[in-house]
Amino acid sequence: MIKAIDIGRKYGSGELEVTALQNINLEIKDGEFVAVVGPSGAGKSTLLYQISLLDEPTSGEVHIGHVNTTHLNQIQKTKLRLHELGYVFQDYALLPELNSLENVALPMLMQGLSRFGAFQKAEQALLRIGLTDKFYSLPSQLSGGQQQRVSIARAIAHSPHILFADEPTANLDSVNARVVIDAFAELNKEGQTIVMVTHEEEYAKRAHRIITLKDGEIISDKKS
Amino acid sequence: MMKPKLIVHRKEYLNALRVGWFLAIQHLRRSGKGTTSLIVFIMVLTFLNLVVVSGLLIGLITGSFVQYRESYSGDVIVTSAAGRDYIENSPALITFLESHPQVKAISPRYARSVQILGTLNRNPNKNERPNQIGARLVGIDPAREEVVTGFSKFVRYGEPLLAGEEGYILMGANLLKKYSSFADANIPGIDFLGEAEVGSRVRVIISREDGEPIVKDFIAKGIVKSKVDEISTRFFVVDNDLKRLLPVNKEQLQEVAILTKDPAYATELVRQIKSFIGSYAARVQTSEEAIPSFLRDIETTMGVLGNALSSIALVVASITIFIVIFINAVTKRKFIGIMKGIGISPLAIEFSYVFQAFFYGLTGSAIGLLLTFGFLRPYFQANPIDFPFSDGILVATPDGAAIRVAILLTITIIAGYIPAKLIVRKNTLDSILGR
Repeated sequence: MIKAIDIGRKYGSGELEVTALQNINLEIKDGEFVAVVGPSGAGKSTLLYQISLLDEPTSGEVHIGHVNTTHLNQIQKTKLRLHELGYVFQDYALLPELNSLENVALPMLMQGLSRFGAFQKAEQALLRIGLTDKFYSLPSQLSGGQQQRVSIARAIAHSPHILFADEPTANLDSVNARVVIDAFAELNKEGQTIVMVTHEEEYAKRAHRIITLKDGEIISDKKS
Repeated sequence: MMKPKLIVHRKEYLNALRVGWFLAIQHLRRSGKGTTSLIVFIMVLTFLNLVVVSGLLIGLITGSFVQYRESYSGDVIVTSAAGRDYIENSPALITFLESHPQVKAISPRYARSVQILGTLNRNPNKNERPNQIGARLVGIDPAREEVVTGFSKFVRYGEPLLAGEEGYILMGANLLKKYSSFADANIPGIDFLGEAEVGSRVRVIISREDGEPIVKDFIAKGIVKSKVDEISTRFFVVDNDLKRLLPVNKEQLQEVAILTKDPAYATELVRQIKSFIGSYAARVQTSEEAIPSFLRDIETTMGVLGNALSSIALVVASITIFIVIFINAVTKRKFIGIMKGIGISPLAIEFSYVFQAFFYGLTGSAIGLLLTFGFLRPYFQANPIDFPFSDGILVATPDGAAIRVAILLTITIIAGYIPAKLIVRKNTLDSILGR
């Protein structure tokens, strides 16, 4: 469960101050598939960064499960991200010197799993999203769609409570984009909570709930 | 309550180490081989700078110490005590040494200050100084001297002396105008013997307080030259020849060079000799103790110079590693941000850079050690540097090298850690978004 209480985010100060988010109140329950939509500059990614603990809101509180994250330090937030959250970035964000298996296994190694255990779970995650023959390929040897699938495998391999995806289809062609969205839908069916930022209506409709932002504020929050 | 917290903390720390190691290995495996080779090459040069430069500087002096021992003093040298003309009870000392189980060989030497006249076939012209110099004439047993110092190898021109041979003399090259490298300097107070060549006759004049000087002519059989002054600035005859010239104390020696079976025994032998002949009968020293103090001072100075140069090398190495790791970390800032974003602890990321730096330092040191002990040290042993007063060798000991490896690795780790820390501490989201 994620709870955002009156969060706001401002950048700069004085005359250069820009308000990216304001008065955001929302609650995302376990097992929900939420799409955050809105025009460019609406604050979609900024909202995602706040509720996924990659950034700190300038006001308000973010609760992950029963944890109020406001008073956590960076180390505690990093730990929380490691154990509870998964991320899929627009540009895949794979480490170029690690192959698919290693990229996926890395968070689990950090969690303290044995090398064997981490790689076994990484294999399962890659198989789950249909990447059967690219275990030992480096990111540079993979297509965009394949890289994004590796990225999804990394995000889900350690069974996070919430999966955050920031424009996961933005760099993909329609075929690969559909594969990614199908994978999210499948994961959600299995109970995975997903929060996805997208600007594509077609993919947003696959979510159960669509939150629309404009000028840093939620203008609608409805079931799909 | 503290104990479980500590255990958790230790576990996290060890896990960060493990992940850091994993990341470092993958980075080193898959990063550009050219870049890695270049960094390792710089580390090798740094190591060589640390070990070889100071080792050669010290080696220039140490070479002279080695030559002093091998060419003149042996492991222990007994000489006349200060203010005495000879070693007291020399025959008893020789008997003691010859029967000592740890003594491998000895070379008893008689020595006397003499005048050497180089031109015998004419008298000097008016206002012309005679071709004559004062020198030390040493009587040796050629066979025994050969065992202790390998004396014949110093005979550069002519032939060495033979046992029982009489009437022949070997001349130190530094006393001869033609062969001394100082002869053209015209140094006031220092004379050289002219017209003295192999085959020419020279006259030995031993002055006596109570009568006519003792005079004997010798045929120059050879010229001896070494970087040890005690050889190049003396004249040598067979011991019986000199003994015959001496009016008194014919059996009393001026020097005894002693070769021990184990050089480490030298100090103990010195103690035993002093105990046997008494502290005032002679000056008894190990080869190390007999080395002139000015050479020791030079050794210290060379050591300081070597350390100064090594320090510069260390600074250069640390800056190099700093720059390499910094550039590496800056170009990977986005990926560092991503790692932090997906929950990899900053400590693990820092460890990965420290391990990389450690790898560069360790590999460079290992190759440097191989080069130093496998190639350079044997090479300089076989081909010493021709220095005016010594044959310079490379002084490199495993202990000294180990200390330098430790210093280099410490510096490398620090130089690797600081830039990694600087980049890792940046805001996670800023790093991911590249802003």
